[in-house]
Amino acid sequence: MGNPILSDDGAGIRVARLLEETLNRPDVTVAESSLAGMDLLELLSGYDRVIIIDAIEAAGARPGRVYRFGPEALTRTRHASSPHDVNFATALELGKRLGMALPAEIVIFGIQVSDVSTFSEQCTPEVERAIPRCVKRVLNEIDRPLTQGK
Amino acid sequence: MDPPPAAKKLRELFYSAHFVHSHIAHFYALAAPDFVLGPASDPAQRNILGVVAKVGLQIGGEVIKHRAYAQSIQTVIGGKATHPVFGLPGGVSRPISEEERQDFEAKAKSCVEFAKFSLKLFNDVVLANKDYLSLITGPIYTMKSYYMGMVDANNKVNFYDGDLRVVDPDGKEVVKFKPAQYLDFIAEHTEPWTYMKFPFLKQVGWKGFTEGKESGVYRVSPLARLNAADGMATPLAQAEYEKMYTTLGGKPVHATLVLHWARLIELLYAAERLLELSQDKEITTQEVRTIPTATPDEGVGVVEAPRGVLIHHYQTDKNGIVQKVNLIVATAHNYPAMQMSIKKAAQGVIKKGQAVSEGLLNMVEMAFRAYDPCMACATHTLPGQMPLEVIIRDNRGEIVRTLSRNLPA
Repeated sequence: MGNPILSDDGAGIRVARLLEETLNRPDVTVAESSLAGMDLLELLSGYDRVIIIDAIEAAGARPGRVYRFGPEALTRTRHASSPHDVNFATALELGKRLGMALPAEIVIFGIQVSDVSTFSEQCTPEVERAIPRCVKRVLNEIDRPLTQGK
Repeated sequence: MDPPPAAKKLRELFYSAHFVHSHIAHFYALAAPDFVLGPASDPAQRNILGVVAKVGLQIGGEVIKHRAYAQSIQTVIGGKATHPVFGLPGGVSRPISEEERQDFEAKAKSCVEFAKFSLKLFNDVVLANKDYLSLITGPIYTMKSYYMGMVDANNKVNFYDGDLRVVDPDGKEVVKFKPAQYLDFIAEHTEPWTYMKFPFLKQVGWKGFTEGKESGVYRVSPLARLNAADGMATPLAQAEYEKMYTTLGGKPVHATLVLHWARLIELLYAAERLLELSQDKEITTQEVRTIPTATPDEGVGVVEAPRGVLIHHYQTDKNGIVQKVNLIVATAHNYPAMQMSIKKAAQGVIKKGQAVSEGLLNMVEMAFRAYDPCMACATHTLPGQMPLEVIIRDNRGEIVRTLSRNLPA
């Protein structure tokens, strides 16, 4: 996920494109998205497991660091992140309450950014170096058996 | 360059679906929490989850379903619902099939029913509550301004094509102009403390942040569109339009929070228009593009975005490469009025010596939220690190704290 023309904000999309080239598994769908909030619910529904790869800005973190966490980590920031939509944690909770076919497991990989305000299709050097590392971690994640549901 | 009729209809159909999607999201996710749960309710509950808990899971499902219907129509026509890739000079990228048309028609029928239901919900929850009705129509959320909206040849609301009509605070038409003439009627005032500009009506002039006929401040929005038009072009929306103005004592309506009611009337119009266009067999014809042969030089495009008039103006060089761009988006048009609405709400709810609760702050925020603003779209600055300074003052005007980043040396 991200904006591919806004420097490090495109890190997730870059990882997805590499995965698309690397992966040869009919049971895995790689999708690029610049959506948020309720729009994401549609995109997630119907899958057993979803791995989200996005840029992240954690206070004081080293650019290029790759974090792995679950959606429960987002509940503390359940404030409006867009004036036109609800945030991801709220959308996910809504989907669950409405009984949508959401994945049994959602894992998020966040790549710490350095610059998300300059128009560029390139990431900054630290983030650029993190992209293949993140791809490797996602591939390992895909190989890991599903732990919940199913 | 005039696109073939089928291309125009597909563009308007796509756009009507976008309105359905956007207006549903604003009402249920952003506006309804203030009314269904109350302006001063616990902020942890005052969100779409709280709304669904109160009105029922089934309604939540209908919200998601109809947003998804609208999105799916946009995806079929536009390739993607967000950042679509079908709009080309001279038309659209591909025709649609009869099967797709039938799918649109079925979904549009359902959207009309959901829009009717949404207006009923607004009636039951908001209008039937005397406290809410007096809050909405009361002085703290009321501001007299000019209104601008796009109208068709019969002066009915149109989102996709037409002329821009401006009415004064008494509802009288002051001007109607072609989109390409916008610079003759709109100018922009600047202030040193903001990255955004303040558009105003040129012939009235910028008189500061003041309301009334003497001030060039105007508004765009669902309510502004209804105020600036003589009615709606579809029957069910027209009936709701008449009901709204009869209930509120005539035109124009200056009560900012009535924007939510106007937005639902537009939801019904968008759904009805979606149905009309999806039943038009011409949308399945193959002629959807006239290939341009001339190099463009200058163009102005205007549509009604869900939150108001959207103006794009481009100038190109002899190779057709863009050299100059001017965008005036809905939130920019409304920026002067937003400042005034927020100030008026704050002065109305915050009283000397009274503790400022979260609920009161939310009531100030409601004046802002009604405009469905998009500050990011309205702020135009070159990329880079945005210099910003926030100065917090106490009630004597003394500086308490200054926060800054990236200020020029």
